[in-house]
Amino acid sequence: MSRLSSTDTPTEEEAAPEVDTARNELVARFTAHLGEGLLESHVDPGVDVWLRVSRESWLEAAEFAKSGLGFGYFSFLSGIDWMPSPFGRDMDSSIDVALGNDERSEIDQTIQHGVAGGTGRFQVFARLNDVVNGLGITLKVDLGDDLTVDSWVAVYPGANWHEREAAEMYGFSFTGHPGLRPLYLPSEFEGHPLRKDYPLLARQMKPWPGIVDVEKMPGDDDEGDDS
Amino acid sequence: MTAISDREQLSYIAAQAADARVNVELETEGMTLNIGPQHPATHGTLRIVAKLDGEQVVAVDPVMGYMHRGYEKLAEVRTYPQVTTLVNRIDWVGSFANEVPFILAAERLMDVEAPPRAQWIRTILFEMSRIANITLFLGDMGLQVGAVTPAFFAFRDREHVLNLIEAATGGRFHPNFDRIGGLKDDLPAGWITETKRVMKKMRQYCDEIETLVEGNEIFQTRTRGIGVIPADIGLSYGLSGANIRGSGVDWDVRRDNPCGLVHNETDWKVWTHPDGDSFARFWVRLQETRESTRIIDQLLDNIPSGPIMAKVPRIIKVPAGEAYVETENPLGVMGYYVISKGDLTPYRVKIRSASFNNISITPWLLKGVYVPDIITILGSLYFILGDIDR
Amino acid sequence: MGLVESGKIGGGLQSLLNMSRKYSMWVYQWGLACCAIEMGAAFASPRYDVMRLGVIPLPASPRQADLLVVSGTVTDKMAPSVKRLYEQMPEPKYVISMGSCANCGGPYWDSYSVTKGVDQVVPVDVYVPGCPPRPDALLEGIVLLQERIQNEDMAERWKGEPIVID
Repeated sequence: MSRLSSTDTPTEEEAAPEVDTARNELVARFTAHLGEGLLESHVDPGVDVWLRVSRESWLEAAEFAKSGLGFGYFSFLSGIDWMPSPFGRDMDSSIDVALGNDERSEIDQTIQHGVAGGTGRFQVFARLNDVVNGLGITLKVDLGDDLTVDSWVAVYPGANWHEREAAEMYGFSFTGHPGLRPLYLPSEFEGHPLRKDYPLLARQMKPWPGIVDVEKMPGDDDEGDDS
Repeated sequence: MTAISDREQLSYIAAQAADARVNVELETEGMTLNIGPQHPATHGTLRIVAKLDGEQVVAVDPVMGYMHRGYEKLAEVRTYPQVTTLVNRIDWVGSFANEVPFILAAERLMDVEAPPRAQWIRTILFEMSRIANITLFLGDMGLQVGAVTPAFFAFRDREHVLNLIEAATGGRFHPNFDRIGGLKDDLPAGWITETKRVMKKMRQYCDEIETLVEGNEIFQTRTRGIGVIPADIGLSYGLSGANIRGSGVDWDVRRDNPCGLVHNETDWKVWTHPDGDSFARFWVRLQETRESTRIIDQLLDNIPSGPIMAKVPRIIKVPAGEAYVETENPLGVMGYYVISKGDLTPYRVKIRSASFNNISITPWLLKGVYVPDIITILGSLYFILGDIDR
Repeated sequence: MGLVESGKIGGGLQSLLNMSRKYSMWVYQWGLACCAIEMGAAFASPRYDVMRLGVIPLPASPRQADLLVVSGTVTDKMAPSVKRLYEQMPEPKYVISMGSCANCGGPYWDSYSVTKGVDQVVPVDVYVPGCPPRPDALLEGIVLLQERIQNEDMAERWKGEPIVID
């Protein structure tokens, strides 16, 4: 280990402004344009901004971001499943909770949402960048029970493949998409892998034993060390 | 660095129009050509189904998923250090760079900052992985166009950089060296002097490639004016890295939005090229490699001393929250959106990989080009299959 | 009935033929993932040169190769292609499985789309462990395979039944 000394190292923390004017202004302009469509927003000063819009104004938010605010760069689009996994994964437990195991019923299945809230189990979220000013925003939308939302392909052609991936991984459908064929998975694949209730079967057959040395290291007769 | 002349552009368009006339007169039938998934020219298992009309492409449909390993699902059942091990293998050529945005996102959620020495060494290794990655590209681009020799040069010179990375981290690629709060170990003795020597060698290699490949007439004819991407189309598809800088957009996450990496402590510049064709992308990457060697030299002169690791608990539980960090990886902009609920394992990790967006432009870009140009354009966009398929 | 398949060639001639076979192998590289880069380093870089062992890494077509090196993760989508290309290779053919992903699924052992080991699809002669194995490790795997070829019984091979070497 090198000696502990505080030399003239350039400090990295820039004084995070308590009021982030650029991002607050973004939120204000979105509110002015979308009105009721903007359900919730969250600004982390100096870091990032999240916006949750209603389903009806999902496409309008994209158009406004592109033409009105200068967010011409499409970064990604994907989904989130907010239901906690019924196959619990606690590293303190000695086994994964397998099918047929009693511990499964004790797992809390209440849905808690993350930043900028939400309703329902599934959300679609997307990220846009403004390359001139170096800002980025995250837009979220809740899907109802029919798991449908407008497609962004008319506004950002790059969303084509992202929506195909989200559709096959979660089972969403995007109205207005030119062709929602599967992207990654072979055609015989059944199910939607990224949903929380899709099990990883190899773990059900042979659960992970946890952080232990399963076999003694050669020459370790007396003490086995936990790694 | 001259723009393609109007005369060259017009002659290419005239050749395509002549082809179209021939096709109409002869009434040829279209043909579907299947390139891949196992093909010496594609960088891995990418399958391209091309509908041809004579020698021209009418429509292109890339089929991927042959390397889809399910990273986002696997990350939900692994602890944070285990995810770091896994994530190395997304962009498997410049692999330290894959760990960095994930570790930075986890550090942002934990509200932990790595000590300055760790940040500097992280940046040095980050730039070295860029050199390791792009040197392969420079040699490989010759292979796409038909020249076999630069590939051997590339593998030989990459060995120097890989030796250095192995000396510091223990692995030639897949170093798995980054930890939440810092790095695993400090640098070995003599590493700094050796790195300076190797950086000089890499600059020589760049000069060699400049003379051998970039100055070659055949290479220039095959890449100038081929695969032109206008800047606004590139942005709306989400192209990043040298692909968008080769179209004239001055955007580099290292300069504009650095979180935890110390590039801005040095004096460096961002290279762009206005043309937007395959030659421009190659040229930008060549200049960037040289720039990386200069950045590393400057960083090596000023490494601060101090601890390598901040104080983090042994079993890492990251508090609840969401964070998105993106960095300028060798292939483009890579980002990790980490959602945590306070457990040992992340709740959801969305991996924004650069090559996925870079290749999504191919159905638009490859309309109307000739068949050999497909390979050249794909080579100049430079993707790694693990990055596309995750 | 030819000389070889009826087992009429003597031990000396057999070992001479085996030696000539083992030093003239043509490798069909099936480079899928990260191990492909290490395989490329073993085959193309002048440091871990593989040609000094007599193994030529040039053929781009399976019909001209007799050694298949599967390096990298095999997914369920890709597995039929591996099988099909393996069947296109003419006999006698050998398979080296390189890296943990090809041996047993590797770090993706629990994934929904990864074949847990290429030996579920093609028969494997030599397993080279590592993630990724160093180029030297691949060269050692090739040397082990060469030893195996040297000790092979050509009549058994000709009959086409699975080879069991004690």
